[in-house]
Amino acid sequence: MSQYRVPGRGRVDTSRPVNFTFDGRSYRGAQGDTVASALLANGVHLMGRSFKYHRPRGAIAAGSEEPNALIGTRRGPGRFEPNTRATVQEIWNGLETTSQNKFPSLKWDVGAVNDAAYMMFSAGFYYKTFMWPKSFWNKVYEPFIRAAAGLGVAPTEEDPDQYASRYLHCDLLIVGAGPAGLAAARAALAEGLKIVMVDENAEPGGTLLSEPQARIDGRPAWDWLAAEIAALKAAGVRIMTRTTAIGYYHQNMLGLCERVTDHLPSLPADTPRERMWRVRARQVVLAQGALEKPLVFHGNDRPGVMLAGAAQTYLNRYGVKVGNAPVVVTSHDSAWYAAFDLQAVGARVQAIVDTRPHVREDLVNEARALGIPVRLSHTVTATSGRLRISGVRVNPVSGATVGAGQQIGCDALLMSGGWTPSLHLFSHTQGKLAWDDDLSTFLPDWTREDCVIAGAGRGLWGIEAALKDGAERGREVAAALGKPGNPVALSVENDRPGSGVSMKELPTDRNPGRAKAFVDYQNDVTAKDLRLAVREGMRSIEHVKRYTTNGMATDQGKMSNINGLNIAADALGRPAPQVGLTTFRPPYTPTTFGAFAGYQRGAHFEVTRKTQIDPWAAANGAVFEPVGQWRRAWYFPKAGEDMEAAVRRECRETRASVGIFDASTLGKIEVVGPDAVTFMERMYTNPWAKLGVGRCRYGLLLGDDGYIRDDGVIGRMAQDRFHVTTTTGGAARVMNMMEDYLQTEWPDLDVWLTSTTEQWSTIALNGPNAAKLLAPFVEGVELTEDAFPHMSCVQCTVAGMPARLFRVSFTGEIGFEVNVPAPMGAALWEILWQAGQQYGIVAYGTETMHVLRAEKGYIIVGQDTDGTVTPFDAGMGWAVGKNKPDFVGKRGLARPDLAAKGRKQLVGLLTEDRSKLEEGAQIVFDPRQPVPMTMVGHVTSSYVSDAVGRPIALALVEGGHDRMGETVHIAMPDRVIAAKITGTVFVDPENSRLKI
Amino acid sequence: MLLIHCPYCNETLPEAEFTYAGEAHIVRPPDPSALSDDEWEGFLFIRSNVRGPHYERWRHMHGCGRFFNAVRDTVSDRFLTTYPAGQPRPDLASLTAASEPSK
Amino acid sequence: MSIQISSLTPGVLVETRAARVSTQPAPGRLSLRARKPALPALGAALGLTLPECIGQRAAGDGTEAICLGPDEWTILTSADLVAGLMAASAGVDQPHSLVDISGREVTLRIDGPRAAELLSLGCPRDIDGIAVGEGRRTVFDGATVVLWRDADNSFRMDIWNSFAPHLAQLLDIGARELAAESA
Repeated sequence: MSQYRVPGRGRVDTSRPVNFTFDGRSYRGAQGDTVASALLANGVHLMGRSFKYHRPRGAIAAGSEEPNALIGTRRGPGRFEPNTRATVQEIWNGLETTSQNKFPSLKWDVGAVNDAAYMMFSAGFYYKTFMWPKSFWNKVYEPFIRAAAGLGVAPTEEDPDQYASRYLHCDLLIVGAGPAGLAAARAALAEGLKIVMVDENAEPGGTLLSEPQARIDGRPAWDWLAAEIAALKAAGVRIMTRTTAIGYYHQNMLGLCERVTDHLPSLPADTPRERMWRVRARQVVLAQGALEKPLVFHGNDRPGVMLAGAAQTYLNRYGVKVGNAPVVVTSHDSAWYAAFDLQAVGARVQAIVDTRPHVREDLVNEARALGIPVRLSHTVTATSGRLRISGVRVNPVSGATVGAGQQIGCDALLMSGGWTPSLHLFSHTQGKLAWDDDLSTFLPDWTREDCVIAGAGRGLWGIEAALKDGAERGREVAAALGKPGNPVALSVENDRPGSGVSMKELPTDRNPGRAKAFVDYQNDVTAKDLRLAVREGMRSIEHVKRYTTNGMATDQGKMSNINGLNIAADALGRPAPQVGLTTFRPPYTPTTFGAFAGYQRGAHFEVTRKTQIDPWAAANGAVFEPVGQWRRAWYFPKAGEDMEAAVRRECRETRASVGIFDASTLGKIEVVGPDAVTFMERMYTNPWAKLGVGRCRYGLLLGDDGYIRDDGVIGRMAQDRFHVTTTTGGAARVMNMMEDYLQTEWPDLDVWLTSTTEQWSTIALNGPNAAKLLAPFVEGVELTEDAFPHMSCVQCTVAGMPARLFRVSFTGEIGFEVNVPAPMGAALWEILWQAGQQYGIVAYGTETMHVLRAEKGYIIVGQDTDGTVTPFDAGMGWAVGKNKPDFVGKRGLARPDLAAKGRKQLVGLLTEDRSKLEEGAQIVFDPRQPVPMTMVGHVTSSYVSDAVGRPIALALVEGGHDRMGETVHIAMPDRVIAAKITGTVFVDPENSRLKI
Repeated sequence: MLLIHCPYCNETLPEAEFTYAGEAHIVRPPDPSALSDDEWEGFLFIRSNVRGPHYERWRHMHGCGRFFNAVRDTVSDRFLTTYPAGQPRPDLASLTAASEPSK
Repeated sequence: MSIQISSLTPGVLVETRAARVSTQPAPGRLSLRARKPALPALGAALGLTLPECIGQRAAGDGTEAICLGPDEWTILTSADLVAGLMAASAGVDQPHSLVDISGREVTLRIDGPRAAELLSLGCPRDIDGIAVGEGRRTVFDGATVVLWRDADNSFRMDIWNSFAPHLAQLLDIGARELAAESA
């Protein structure tokens, strides 16, 4: 056992050694150790280098607030995480860890020259240093900043871990399982109440884990704790450990990040690495305790300088003595106990230095009794040592006078500047804080959430005070939940309450302008930087923060905010409460992207809707494209074909014989009721009253602003029943819009809408042989020009399946859309595919569908329209029922701007050099005009057309309908392409191919 | 995530079941064509954008599917009440909400 | 992972000690819309008393109904009774809409000791707010679903066909995750 491990102390199991590596060197710790406690047990304080100056640093804390000891952890391929706090990561056999911000090694680091160039990197240096000469920016400054920026090294491999998330609803959520939280749970317990308690540590207990000397209810603290945890669990309280409450959101929703496997030596199957809990609680108790403040003095960052409370935790919880000859410097009573505890296990405390002239007599007496030298009214003005502290310079203070310094040798310096209530989550609720003069800190004041703060979070120090307050708050929330609550009376012996004073920088006899007295350790912000920021005109604490980066590190100012505020307030000559605090935002501690993503990664990244025919497409080599939430077959390449070749073949064979296409994704809405036709008249631009049963019509849907929203073919299945189709991407939007008008504008109409998108599998057959292929399977109607002309619809049977058959065409060829109940779609597809072989049937995807429709000038809403296109702009004025008294969009179309000349109108384009235009390319009339040119439109659709024998395009062009035959120019990065404006129909303008 | 009371389901449910649907009590004129351009502009585009209690519409999209009205304080992001579509605006004075105590 | 989910091929998708997820055979399914005054006549035509509170269910001889909205019900029946019910309701002269949606969705049965917890992976609402014998339309992992609670730990989830592979994938992951947890 190492000389720093104290037998009989701590909760780690030294009989179960754990081997891990740090920077390639092997170390032995004990089961229950963190990386930090295990390294300290081996006498290692140097754990990292700071971000800006690359100064050597050790752990200064023992919990999640740690700003310095950031390490990388590795567990085989892909499982590397940077910036993990060594004070939180538990060790397991085989864990590999590395230090950060060093080159070539932690002990000898090149970047440390920044430390020597310290004066250059003062507050706001990046606003000043890199300003001139301008030409240096690209070549010198930016590469330098980029190389230096970033904390740790980002992982380069894909993370193989699974992440999870779950919703949880409870009556009471208690954040923090220390004495206040435990007492609150005990006091609130009631039959039928669902209580959840979370703690970020590996085990519950909070401060009790660091204070085994206390006796609660007549029993040693740890015995009482074990019994209480067991009792609460038995009573149904759910206690979640290694779970951090990272954010407090609206109406008592909290995010909890549970670390499930990071502490395990081997990964269990089917188990996520982390799980995000989204908890909705009726009442919340925040019992998060308080964070100890560092003292601010020159050299307060040397490895071996540590918070006194952390040293106590390392000793009492982990059985680790952080030094054999420590010095304590403090302005608060609590640090005295650290000295006593260390002295009791054989360390020789070299001195207790207290900035206060008067300290509680019992503390001074006990120190004297233990033989510890006491220096009251003293300050620390410097530390010495290179990679580890070796001495501290201590000076007497008398009023404003700092006396001569004296060197005291030491191997650790334990500091305490008092305690700050942990109010981060409270602040997430937009809760108001109130300044407490006595404690010189902010305390919780008011929040609109159903939330109370208990214990040290309210500035109450000591176990007894925390238990008592927790019990009171617990009864308070029980009452709010309509329960009586339980009396909790617990006696506490050997408690260690205390008080102290709040300091700005410690007084010094040296030039404070040269002091490296750190406030924000991780971002290397010193007291001098804060004062410089104020001198340079920063008045708001928010500006001071951004100018200096104080509190902007990954610890979010847990260590630095109050010290920074005290110093800034002093520099501003204003009281701290008037200067105010910066805002805390979630997450409370750094949280992985994986935890936020949860299940939504890889194949489960987003909802992917698949048709019943999707498996056939996948099995037949389809390349897919996402359309809205759907994945659709894009094209079906044969061996050796690229996309262009495949699409060209699909187009050619469809126009030559017959093509089959999965149109199931089209939105479908069943409009039913006596007022169905009235509703259709009001929604769509077209007239519907005279549409006969068994006929269908192309419908155009506008917004009330007059712009095209959607389109689709609509069939009248019965007098009071319409089968409406919408675009694939617009289905949900159109349904919502229709429901909106129906429910809120026309609630008197007797008509109802039912989404039938997924009721039907829709298979489209197009091509000269489409009718020949389909006819043998159809019962109930003859597929002849007379019996079933273009734009007919009928309920019939296809291949023995109940069907709705539409004769429509989106290709200009003879076309049918067969709708059968969705689960039958795959079978029908297979039947038609087999029967189609005699005609050389071709399966085509969305790209070919796009080409075929563009050749006919049919628009795609959302591609050829962009939300500012009217039916008249699109050349579809014929679809607008001019005699209808009203429809959605009628008044909008009459707005002056929509009726004005010179609007962008949909036209065809044929390039002079027969090249294919790029969709989205901008169009100008005169390519010789000076830059910036006046852009007059853009290309909306562009394809290579097999039927036309050259590329074709659709475009929106200013006044385009009156510019037929004119030449426009499309400016590309490498050249300007000339194109002639044409009509939008490129194939069969007489529609002769539609006839059977 | 907010909690929203659906006046049709009579349940208070997570925001994830709902979608926002713009300002409430803006009635489409019975004969839009009779409106002047200015009046039509007012109906189509002009919204109140208040700081404080705001009359607005939500839809219980993943629930009963109904559009309904709500009064939400845009400062505190709290719902003061919700009520079925078609009902008149509730009197603000009758709606109480948790507010910061005056000092 | 590509799971093919179809009511034509019922069967167990995943079964662990925590939960079992299985595809149910296709029933007849109808969507009924009507105003309150039409309910008695429609109920008589369909052979049950239509419940008027959202979430409540009622059963008739071979039929089952759930109220999903103030004017909306889903009627479950056997596939061969659909045509008869459509015809019967056509005789009701009060305005209403009855649409055959038998092909629209697939139903998953989710049961097992931790079935309710499995639902908490994707459903933001409190599952315990749905009483046994009731049901609700809600959202699960980004898709609208109807949840029927038949027992404390036995649910049916109606899902539009195209969403089923995505949702089944999460249920599969979750059933294994919960089982590993209770191992």
